[in-house]
Amino acid sequence: MSTESHGFNLKEWIFTTDHKRIGILYLIGSMAAFSIAGVMALMIRLEQSTLGPTLVHDVATGGSQYNVWLYFHGAAMILGFLIPGLTGFAANYFLPLMIGAKDVAFPRINAFSVWLFYAGIIMALLTFVIGDPPDVMWTGYPPYSLLTSGNTAFYVFTVHLLGFASILGAVNFLVTVIYMRAPGMGWNQLNMFVWSTVTAFVIQLVFVPVLASAVTMLLFDKYLGTHFFDPSQGGDVLLYQNLFWFYSHPAVYVILLPALGILFEVVATFSKNMVFNYKAAVYGGMWGIVLISGEVWIHHLYISGMPDWIRIGMMVSTLLISVPVGLLAISLFGTLYRGAITYTTAMKYATACLFLFLIGGLTGIPLAMTVMTVHLSETSFVHAHFHYIMGIFATFSVFAGVYYWFPKMTGKMPGEKMGNLGFWFNFIGVNITFFPLFIIGIEGMPRRYWNYEMFPQFEPFHKIATVGAFLVAIGMLLTILNWIISAISGEKSVANPWKSVSLEWTHCPNPPGPGNFPKDVVVSADWTPYNYGR
Amino acid sequence: MSHSTTEHAHHWEVSWAPMVLTAGILFLVPLTFAAYFVYQNELNAIIFAGIGTPLVLIGISKWVSEGLTQKPLLAGVSPSALPFFIISEVFIFLGLFASYWTMRLSAGENWPPAGTPEHMNLVLPLIMTVLLVGSSLTYHVAEHHLDHDNLGGFRSWLMLTMLLGLLFLGCTIYEYHHLLGMNFGPSTNAYSSAFFSITGFHASHVIVGLGIFAAVLLPAFAGKTNKYFAFCAGLYWHFVDIVWFFVASQVYYW
Repeated sequence: MSTESHGFNLKEWIFTTDHKRIGILYLIGSMAAFSIAGVMALMIRLEQSTLGPTLVHDVATGGSQYNVWLYFHGAAMILGFLIPGLTGFAANYFLPLMIGAKDVAFPRINAFSVWLFYAGIIMALLTFVIGDPPDVMWTGYPPYSLLTSGNTAFYVFTVHLLGFASILGAVNFLVTVIYMRAPGMGWNQLNMFVWSTVTAFVIQLVFVPVLASAVTMLLFDKYLGTHFFDPSQGGDVLLYQNLFWFYSHPAVYVILLPALGILFEVVATFSKNMVFNYKAAVYGGMWGIVLISGEVWIHHLYISGMPDWIRIGMMVSTLLISVPVGLLAISLFGTLYRGAITYTTAMKYATACLFLFLIGGLTGIPLAMTVMTVHLSETSFVHAHFHYIMGIFATFSVFAGVYYWFPKMTGKMPGEKMGNLGFWFNFIGVNITFFPLFIIGIEGMPRRYWNYEMFPQFEPFHKIATVGAFLVAIGMLLTILNWIISAISGEKSVANPWKSVSLEWTHCPNPPGPGNFPKDVVVSADWTPYNYGR
Repeated sequence: MSHSTTEHAHHWEVSWAPMVLTAGILFLVPLTFAAYFVYQNELNAIIFAGIGTPLVLIGISKWVSEGLTQKPLLAGVSPSALPFFIISEVFIFLGLFASYWTMRLSAGENWPPAGTPEHMNLVLPLIMTVLLVGSSLTYHVAEHHLDHDNLGGFRSWLMLTMLLGLLFLGCTIYEYHHLLGMNFGPSTNAYSSAFFSITGFHASHVIVGLGIFAAVLLPAFAGKTNKYFAFCAGLYWHFVDIVWFFVASQVYYW
């Protein structure tokens, strides 16, 4: 993926401060995390494919072994793949191009962010090296995380490093968008993806530090003997859950927003349409989410115990999220309306996302309602819900983005045939994997159980889900292989293969060289990134 | 970062400083901590700290020297960026304070919990407040000299600022030593947990602030300064100063 004019120079890659190359480094690192976390997912599914022990070799400690897989799968997927894939890779590569900037405001801090991200990945990978790997899910709830013989410190430091990378990224990109837009580019002329990144980084800036303080107290409690989460000494065990979800609920919007941003780009380009209801989607939808995101976290503690009036308040604020999310969904579907739609692989992933978004979003409503949630909490219904909306929806959105921008990054066209095959394996696979989990969730299948001998009636559903997981594995292999093959020997791309009118396609070569734009970009007052004249 | 503002740059920008700094941080913080506190292996801890410390110092020196010699893509924007970072810092402190408030308010009459010394030294934090506020003022004078290109005055007042900061840290060390001697350590009770975490976290910010000042001072001896860098160093220091008011009022005087 080197430029035609320069050839490959290792030093220029690993010491790079260029936003595009840092973006590629993020992509490589996050796909590595994705692959290993994906293998963990397969092991989890295999373990659940039979009632009793399947993969675990020691029944007595099997729970701990299984917990390590859950830990790595969750932590690496969310902190190592989704957040860095969206706000690291996609934002780095394309945000400066979309606003007509030569780079981000602080290129060295940007490089610092990506290496902190890699340091976090290294900390996470040490899970497989040390004898006492972390086994605390990605949530790290005390008292288990304090009592376990697992190395909770590595969990904490993974969060610290990735969190620090995110905070620096947030500062960098907010300043970049404020100060480095091309002359003439007003706030209502920004790409949806730019807005989505801005709002996601606002959330990161405010909420990540609270997670950092929560896990730091965990570290102190476990290794320095403090008593923050120890009720016997005046601490409060629910305090951790509050602080944790104060960040980690908004974190789902950190993932959702840029994922939607990518979809807007893909859907507008392949429908050749203006974004429908742009201002409502940006100021009502995206900023609405930012506004409400900090007032809903307690719904994660519905069954941990709280006064009823808080439950009701949290139900209202949680359901209120449907309003901005609804605005964004209307805007996305409206952009398709009477569009000249081309179903490339990128567009297939994008339309699949719309479907997943509906299922994942609508299944969130019963979970928000206090009458339903007591029944559904800690069942595989929750597990299926957040995999639809956060796991698969956001992953498919990253894939849509990679396919959409593939010619921009490599100068080559992505292979459509293999891409298409991979897409169908993925799309059918994820539905076979997760839809059965809704059904058995309603009937009471608990989450996180490796051994469910007390519920033999659920075994067939788990078997179906496991088959689905392997279909996804095939789809993912095909997809990643397709990218590698296409990047090396794909058909050469024309300058603007999708005929987009957004700056990253119209004003710079594939792939852009140092400084991005051959000529400084100036935009006129009537320019928009979606002006297809329709 | 020798970007040309008017025409297309023809080479890929590189800097090894961020990567070396990150490697240093990885050794110095997580690995050293884990070796010492998780695996109780002092030798490994010393080795990791020994690898990490020089890497951090080299990374920072290289970064600072590049920052002082190379022309940035967009000059003068850092004073607008640091406030964003400070927002983040505020929320880290808020997380700690919220935990402290939760424990404190749920304790009701049982505060201070058993094990807390009858009389905490309330004079020392007053002295520390004076030291820190004084250092913010002296840095203001230092910046005044820098604005008037009086590099000698800038260096002297900056050194005075750093001296006050060091005295502040000295007070912290003295106090910790004194309290630990009275068997009041991080693990004593809920109050001590919050006390040592919050004051310790604040002290770590003082150390970082002094580090930033050192990175401003040392090049200034060679006549190299950057007024935006100096401004940001001061802004950070003032922030650390303001946080101290909250620390002192909440954990000492409440």
